[in-house]
Amino acid sequence: MTDALVSPSPKPLLIVGDPTAAACEGDFCEIPDHHQQAVVNRALDSDLV
Amino acid sequence: MSEAIKVDIWSDVQCPWCYIGKRKFEAGAELFDGEVEVEYHSFELSPDTPVEYEGTPVQYLSERKGMPVAQVEEMLERVTGIAKAVGLEYDYDHVHQTNTVISHELLHFAKSKGRQLEMKERLLKAYFIDGEHVGRIPDLVAIAVELGYDADEVTEALESHRFLADVKADVALAQEYGIQGVPFFVIDGKYGVSGAQEAEAFANVLAQVKSERVQAEREAV
Repeated sequence: MTDALVSPSPKPLLIVGDPTAAACEGDFCEIPDHHQQAVVNRALDSDLV
Repeated sequence: MSEAIKVDIWSDVQCPWCYIGKRKFEAGAELFDGEVEVEYHSFELSPDTPVEYEGTPVQYLSERKGMPVAQVEEMLERVTGIAKAVGLEYDYDHVHQTNTVISHELLHFAKSKGRQLEMKERLLKAYFIDGEHVGRIPDLVAIAVELGYDADEVTEALESHRFLADVKADVALAQEYGIQGVPFFVIDGKYGVSGAQEAEAFANVLAQVKSERVQAEREAV
């Protein structure tokens, strides 16, 4: 992976990937349900629950 | 395919999902069989936050969102757990909530030296893991000096706000793309990927771009 030197020109994007992936908007960072479940699952796997 | 795939990433220094997403993207780029070129772009989640905010992130979120302190604490605890799963030890007890615009200026300064990726990682680590202040010029200069930059040059760049226009240009470009949240990844100027996706999702998009390029090269022959 290297540093890039030029900036992109704006054009319409094709949005792909999981639409529920975690992101921050404004000063709030939402935690989608599947992430919370993943944390619980990891805790269960580690015998912490 | 000879050209690296360009990935433009909008991100803020105090965005917990941006650091988590960075790790997931890096893992995706590792899975991908090809070259990737990354450029980070500025995105200010809370441009009205004072540099010298006196409270904790818990107080800040509680005040701003009107959420009970216990609920915010629980939320940050969950984010901390998710960060840990990708190898990041967030320390919210020592995070300095601040305005990140000058840290974005420092990122553009580093970019002008061809060293933006290194600075991005260092600033995220400073904020989330090391409990360093990323809003004040002297603190940012200290971080830059640690990376081998000249203190006077960095101080001049930050005090003159020489790179502020570049920060604002990034923010404007994000608006043109319709980006509302971060992290946001623009891959090959064509595909938009929002949020801290799983590594496989990034690898799949990169593979898609590679496949399209190979196809285009075949058709051009």
